[in-house]
Amino acid sequence: MRNPQPESPVSSISERLSGADPRASMTQLFESMRPDLLRFAHWLARDRSLAEDIVQESLLRAWRSRDTLKDRGAARAWLLTIVRREHARLYERKRLELVSLDEALDTQAAEKAASDGDLFTLRHAIMRLPIEYREPLLLQILGGFSTEEIARELTLSSTAVLTRLFRARNKLRAICGMTPAPDVSASEATP
Amino acid sequence: MSCEHTRLQIGADPAGSAAELEEHLRGCAACREFREEMRTLDANIRRALERPPEWAGAPRLTAPWRPWALAASVLLAMLAVLSVWLLRPSDTLAHEVVAHVREEPDSWLARQQVDAHSIDEVLRGAGVKLDFTSDRISYAQSCWFQDHYVPHLVVQTAQGPVTVMILRNQRVSGRRSFHESGMTGVIVPAPQGSIAVLARGGVNLQTFATQMQQDVRWLPDAQ
Repeated sequence: MRNPQPESPVSSISERLSGADPRASMTQLFESMRPDLLRFAHWLARDRSLAEDIVQESLLRAWRSRDTLKDRGAARAWLLTIVRREHARLYERKRLELVSLDEALDTQAAEKAASDGDLFTLRHAIMRLPIEYREPLLLQILGGFSTEEIARELTLSSTAVLTRLFRARNKLRAICGMTPAPDVSASEATP
Repeated sequence: MSCEHTRLQIGADPAGSAAELEEHLRGCAACREFREEMRTLDANIRRALERPPEWAGAPRLTAPWRPWALAASVLLAMLAVLSVWLLRPSDTLAHEVVAHVREEPDSWLARQQVDAHSIDEVLRGAGVKLDFTSDRISYAQSCWFQDHYVPHLVVQTAQGPVTVMILRNQRVSGRRSFHESGMTGVIVPAPQGSIAVLARGGVNLQTFATQMQQDVRWLPDAQ
């Protein structure tokens, strides 16, 4: 059975908020970021239920290690990182199921892409990006991470991150009807 | 810095403005255009990422105040929808403009210039005049759009045919770029409405839109 020990930041939030518990503000901080975390997890996992599980598990992990968060200004990036790692763990466990999700999305998007090029198509195109391109793009745009920060998080070289970001946008560019730029990016390399 | 490396940098981060990058862009129009396209695309990606597909609303909560949180979430969602509707009218406008142009695909096929008299007639109906010569206009129709007749022109440019719709009755708060159905466009505010310009593919229309803002004269007595 998982997580029998720590208190959930969610289940006892009302009690904490009503008292002078110094942990209450931390709980409040975590809760204020839940929508952002859910959005990020949903784009990573491509499934709302999985995203909710990931965020719930991530918040529990964050709560257990809350003392390591020294700078509250860095909480968002810290939590996003935890969500990403939790997703990576889940992705490893459920790889086969996620592959079948890929196929479902391919079918949906292919049907829609033929008829219009609006945000619906772009959303599904992003969902269809392979995880190695989608993940750095999400970290950059939703997480506000710099190239170097993404490189550290994904244990890649900065050049590899630049390449993946370039390719991610180039794929979306093609789907949006723009001429794709020639793929001149350098070959990827891990540090 | 080479064009190839510049495009890699832009593709990786369209908002980036490193000194070396800017220096290259100052002397390279093609890369400047590429950056504009990527910035337009990036704006659309950001809009797309605001809401994942089939996003159904509030997260699961286990706290005792869940019903209140659910009600608040529903209220917030309604407010968000209302805000989006109120604050982003030009998105809808862009969609309508694209839909209108898609209904008139032949407009981009015309190559022969329209005579000055026909153009004047189309423009007069909307109470506007153009300050540039009419020999670049290959299509001029007065079209029913959003409950009004508006001039629908196609101007031949070095980048290919560009549609111009002069929207006297559609005010926008600021310049807005859009990309939809394989078309790229810009809607710019004007003294008595707005002007929409769009073209197929990833053409950079920013300069052209600015030029149109200057070239369209709004006649004071009209409508």
